[in-house]
Amino acid sequence: MIQWWQILLLTLYSAYQICDELTIVSSAGSPVFAGFVTGLVMGDMVTGLTIGAALQLTVLGVGTFGGASRIDATSGAVLATAFSVAHGIKPELAVSTIAVPVAALLTYADILGRMTTTYFAHRVDAAIERFDYKGIERNYLLGAIPWALSRALPVFLALSFGGGFVQSLVDWVDSVKWLANGLLLAGRMLPGLGFAILLRYLPLKRNLHYLALGFGLTAMLTVLYSNVQSVGTAIEGILGIDVFANLPKEQMVSFVNNFKGVSMIGVAIIGVFLAVEHFKNSQRTVVTPQAVSESGEIEDDEF
Amino acid sequence: MTNSNYKLTKEDFNQINKRSLFTFQLGWNYERMQASGYLYMILPQLRKMYGDGTPQLKEMMKLHTQFFNTSPFFHTIITGFDLALEEKEGVASKDAVNGIKTGLMGPFAPIGDSIFGSLVPAIMGTIAATFAAQGNPFGILMWVAVAVVYDIFRWKQLEFAYKEGVNLITNMRSTMTALVEAASVLGIFMVGGLIATMINFEVTWAPHIGDKVIDVQDMMNLIFPRLVPALFTGFIFWLLGRKGMNSTRAILIIIVLAIFFSAFGHFFFGMK
Repeated sequence: MIQWWQILLLTLYSAYQICDELTIVSSAGSPVFAGFVTGLVMGDMVTGLTIGAALQLTVLGVGTFGGASRIDATSGAVLATAFSVAHGIKPELAVSTIAVPVAALLTYADILGRMTTTYFAHRVDAAIERFDYKGIERNYLLGAIPWALSRALPVFLALSFGGGFVQSLVDWVDSVKWLANGLLLAGRMLPGLGFAILLRYLPLKRNLHYLALGFGLTAMLTVLYSNVQSVGTAIEGILGIDVFANLPKEQMVSFVNNFKGVSMIGVAIIGVFLAVEHFKNSQRTVVTPQAVSESGEIEDDEF
Repeated sequence: MTNSNYKLTKEDFNQINKRSLFTFQLGWNYERMQASGYLYMILPQLRKMYGDGTPQLKEMMKLHTQFFNTSPFFHTIITGFDLALEEKEGVASKDAVNGIKTGLMGPFAPIGDSIFGSLVPAIMGTIAATFAAQGNPFGILMWVAVAVVYDIFRWKQLEFAYKEGVNLITNMRSTMTALVEAASVLGIFMVGGLIATMINFEVTWAPHIGDKVIDVQDMMNLIFPRLVPALFTGFIFWLLGRKGMNSTRAILIIIVLAIFFSAFGHFFFGMK
């Protein structure tokens, strides 16, 4: 059974973790941290850490770009740990049956939070008209409430109504598979909106070739790298990991370490190079060659 | 020049940094994203520079609630340049301030997101998860320690940017424009790269014509890998340019579109 004070603490943690992610990014909003805290509250730290670690590894490298939503593995870790400890569900089972579906579902709580905060932004606009400085500051800070509720409310409801409620919700979503798939697809499409908004605010027209280069280069490298990765996995699958153990140690380490995704820092280095070139070109004083003079004579024909 | 001819002090920078670090994105919303946060962050300084109740103050407050979104790890660099300009030229700098804000938010967003939104969590997350899998919370503490380091870095950059900004404005106005331009080249290039890696969906529709199965995604890969994300981003870009369109509406359209595709595939093509 989950005690009322445990529900209270976990709800408060959920409200705090998203505000932390928005401000100081202390890592309190990461799944592994969530598992740790929930484990402590529920009195089983190791289970919490196990579940948190599993979820942390599934969201590795999943960043939020240009304000797009991502799956909420943090709340997933809270609920999975709480139910796992309270009902004695195996951690691995809790991850796959509770955390993953909950994380996907809560993407929509995130979107709802981001939408409702707009209301307070409009109140800030009104306060500016009145020179109401206190009003500007108050309404700005009130924007944190929809954000906090977007995590705290679902966690509170799920913990209060219990695992049965969560399970039936997950089952229901599973029964309308097309809807669930559609929502998943929307989640994957949303980063595109973030990029499109960014492009709207960049001088795109005269720099379109840079966009094309960045896209083309990275797209090809991504495909190349991911294919090499699958080759690595396939070889490992056929030969088994033991074969590599027979190799000399350095060879084994270098072989295994060679299968990584494309490095965005590498792409950024090329981007920095282009920016520096662009800057240097613009600094160079352009000497426009004297065009054909009025008399029609070419004054300077030396090359 | 501003009405009061006010010069920013150490206390001002501390106040901005405090607001930046502890509140900057709390009012984040789909419509104008970090805009109200930006205003909140520099509001006390704006009031000192332009004076309470003046029309200039209202004009600048409205300017700072326009759309703004960048990496929360680099935004005070932009603020530093902005304040250097405003302190020197007041309302006359309005267009230049707007240019710097929109010109620099684009480049800083993808750089900050790649490093602090993706790379650091990937590295520290791996370390923390590896420790945690053995029941040891030590890796989490390491992550928090790294967070302290980058928060110090965030605190430091405002004054640095302000000083550089003052320097650039007085000595090299043309260099400043060229720098903003070069930064946007980097930004656009990086957005191109991010479109190729961060939008991950494919066409799963594979119609049967007679005995043949046509794998649409495979055909598209023949043309160019990652063509679908590029076309999709282009479509959203076009959509945002329509009259009466804002990001909230665009979000709803994307969700409806995605559900429609999924339902269409499920009910008409019998896909799972």
